[in-house]
Amino acid sequence: MSSVESKVAAPTTSRRRVLKLGLAGGALLLLGGSGLALYPPSRAGGAPTAPLLALDGRAFQVLVAVAARIVTAAGADPVAIAHGVDRALSYALAETQSDVRALLGLFENALAGFVFDLRLTPFTRLSPSAQDAALESWRTSRLVVRRTGYQALRKLCLASFYVQESSWPELRYAPPSGLNAAAYDDPEIGTPEWIEAQNKVRGS
Amino acid sequence: MRSLKTIRAGAGVLDGSAQAADVTLDADICIIGTGAGGAVAASIFARSGKTVVLLEEGGYYTSADFTARERDTEPRLYQEGMTRTTKDAGISVLQGKAVGGTTVVNWTTSFRTPEDVVDHWHKKHAVGGFAYADLIPHYEAIERRLAIAKVPYDSLNANNRTLYDGCKKLGWEVDTLRRNVFGCLQSGFCHLGCPVNAKRSMLVTMIPDALDAGARLLFRARADKLERAGGAIARVRGTLLDAEGRSATGKSFTVTARRFIVSGGAINSPALLLRSGLDSGGLVGARTFLHPVIGSSALYDEPIEPQRGAPQSAASHHFAHRGDEMGFFLEAAPWYPGLASTAAPGYGSSHADFMRQVAHTATHIAIGIDGFHDDLPGGRVTLRSSGAPLLDYAITPKMWSAFRFAQKRLAEAQFASGARKVMTLHERPVVLEGKLDEAAIDAARWEIGCVPVFTAHQMGGCPMGDDPAVSVVRSSDLRHHTIENLHVIDGSVFPTSLGVNPQESIYGLSHLMASRIAASK
Ligand SMILES: Cc1cc2nc3c(=O)[nH]c(=O)nc-3n(C[C@H](O)[C@H](O)[C@H](O)COP(=O)(O)OP(=O)(O)OC[C@H]3O[C@@H](n4cnc5c(N)ncnc54)[C@H](O)[C@@H]3O)c2cc1C
Repeated sequence: MSSVESKVAAPTTSRRRVLKLGLAGGALLLLGGSGLALYPPSRAGGAPTAPLLALDGRAFQVLVAVAARIVTAAGADPVAIAHGVDRALSYALAETQSDVRALLGLFENALAGFVFDLRLTPFTRLSPSAQDAALESWRTSRLVVRRTGYQALRKLCLASFYVQESSWPELRYAPPSGLNAAAYDDPEIGTPEWIEAQNKVRGS
Repeated sequence: MRSLKTIRAGAGVLDGSAQAADVTLDADICIIGTGAGGAVAASIFARSGKTVVLLEEGGYYTSADFTARERDTEPRLYQEGMTRTTKDAGISVLQGKAVGGTTVVNWTTSFRTPEDVVDHWHKKHAVGGFAYADLIPHYEAIERRLAIAKVPYDSLNANNRTLYDGCKKLGWEVDTLRRNVFGCLQSGFCHLGCPVNAKRSMLVTMIPDALDAGARLLFRARADKLERAGGAIARVRGTLLDAEGRSATGKSFTVTARRFIVSGGAINSPALLLRSGLDSGGLVGARTFLHPVIGSSALYDEPIEPQRGAPQSAASHHFAHRGDEMGFFLEAAPWYPGLASTAAPGYGSSHADFMRQVAHTATHIAIGIDGFHDDLPGGRVTLRSSGAPLLDYAITPKMWSAFRFAQKRLAEAQFASGARKVMTLHERPVVLEGKLDEAAIDAARWEIGCVPVFTAHQMGGCPMGDDPAVSVVRSSDLRHHTIENLHVIDGSVFPTSLGVNPQESIYGLSHLMASRIAASK
């Protein structure tokens, strides 16, 4: 934990404290929003391969870098994961979409990095091990908003990967295909008459 | 009755996303929300000869869309594309959004409201409008229509059987569950919409019943505001949404009616009332309860394959009543890779290792019973600047303390049923090899963002009761205390949580109250 954090967070998680941190969180996210505008594009690549639905190009690029560290399972493709996150976010509230964009800005923002971790390099320009250290700092932070911010990105990236069929062989997960085809074509299924008839068959 | 397919294609079903012009409708009764509360009420009103218009924000998906794939279904069938959380992001909120409401995605566990809970409401929340005995014939009617039946022990999958066996071994109360299914293939995909129409959700029962009796349905239609004329609601206005429900089409709708039934579910119903300027002196949105959930994973030598079989089929209420402490009940949680990956701890290689163990992993959950203690007052729904709801719900010290206790009991039950290793779902998991270590669980970081907490049971926010100083609707017919043509019929009317999975409580109460309203003038 950085010295700044220890000043902001008391060792208690009382409700008042959490709410105060929530407000601090709002300010942090604003800082994040400005962060993406202040820094040049990363060298890391990670440009979108399809039109974006909820993120912008800069936020997408940071997300690709985050995804590369969060999901290291066999076959993980950070760009595909980031596109999955973008699609998932397109179903979320506009407020949530803008919070995630700001959060990614905060991850990238060197000023925030300096305040919390004394690092001046944007996230996308760090080495993999330094990126892991940055993630770790968010993950174990005493600030609720940093921990929940880490959790939001973690969950979005992981879910995006694991809903893809390509991740399933590793888990030996193979849901049936076409199970639903027959049911809906049965013209009677679900009607009270159908249930009654089935009950009779069962009872006999 | 006409087939489900014919009903779905009928003239009474309007797709809001396909409307080229603003829509205006009129009915005796307008029902906002088509889930457990709204669908049951609609079928009763339509069959009693009233003209009914049902409004639903979500899509009209059917088993044809239920592909057993999370990617196809979760963003479409859940509120906010399954990204809803509480204000401080401490709790993930799973809540449905579709024709049929949350019943389309629920896990089919069916309990009547416990009698002692109704007693508590009578004594502590001035709920005098019905006796427990009044509910019984309505539960029975629902149980017949939804084919609710107790499952035999032999049908339990290993995920549920391990919970059952562990509790039995420890001498704890445990039982197999009643489920609202018929012809269930045990495919395990309840959570993504039943692919074979075996789940007797509102989508395949009360909604088609209502439509077959002449009700009309406008889906992809979000009710924004109830508008008053004098002491009554004159109309509801709202926004039509595109086919994916992601944005407004630019078209709107207006429904005039003699009576309005708000059935948007907890969180959403209070939000609609708040947007309409009906806050009942601050009562609307307060006392929202969540049955907050924590989980425990356990590794067994035997194969568990938690993705197979009925997701929920055993429960223990042994710890439901804990005096001054928060009670909880134990159940099993199903496993889908996307959902499970968000609950599994950490990231990178440790996370990938955890996921690979799935074939031998069981996950059991403890479901907290909130609302029965002064220091478990639930949360409050407020409005975002866009008008969307935002739930501020504090996890209080009493709740954290109950979670710690529950985590230990979950581990005990898992070891008792043969688990080799038990893991909490903390970001830094507590890993117990072979035996319970209470001190290790106590030492874990019990804070927001360090341990996943989720809710699938939202209740309260528009409580019923006979004292307008503490309730929003009266308990004899769920009518608003001051607006005589406005009712709230859904899970938001409960004055506390329930201590059991809520769907049948909502069906039964809706059946009773809609029958009373239909019989009144
Ligand atoms: C994953 C999961 C598993 C569950 N498993 C079980 C279980 O096994 N057993 C059990 O008893 N319970 C279970 N539940 C909970 C149960 O299904 C719900 O408590 C119940 O369906 C709530 O009923 P309701 O009528 O209050 O609201 P809902 O069923 O949620 O219906 C409300 C509907 O209103 C719509 N709506 C809201 N606002 C508006 C608006 N402004 N305009 C138009 N439409 C609107 C919503 O889109 C929604 O479709 C589960 C829930 C989840 C999420």
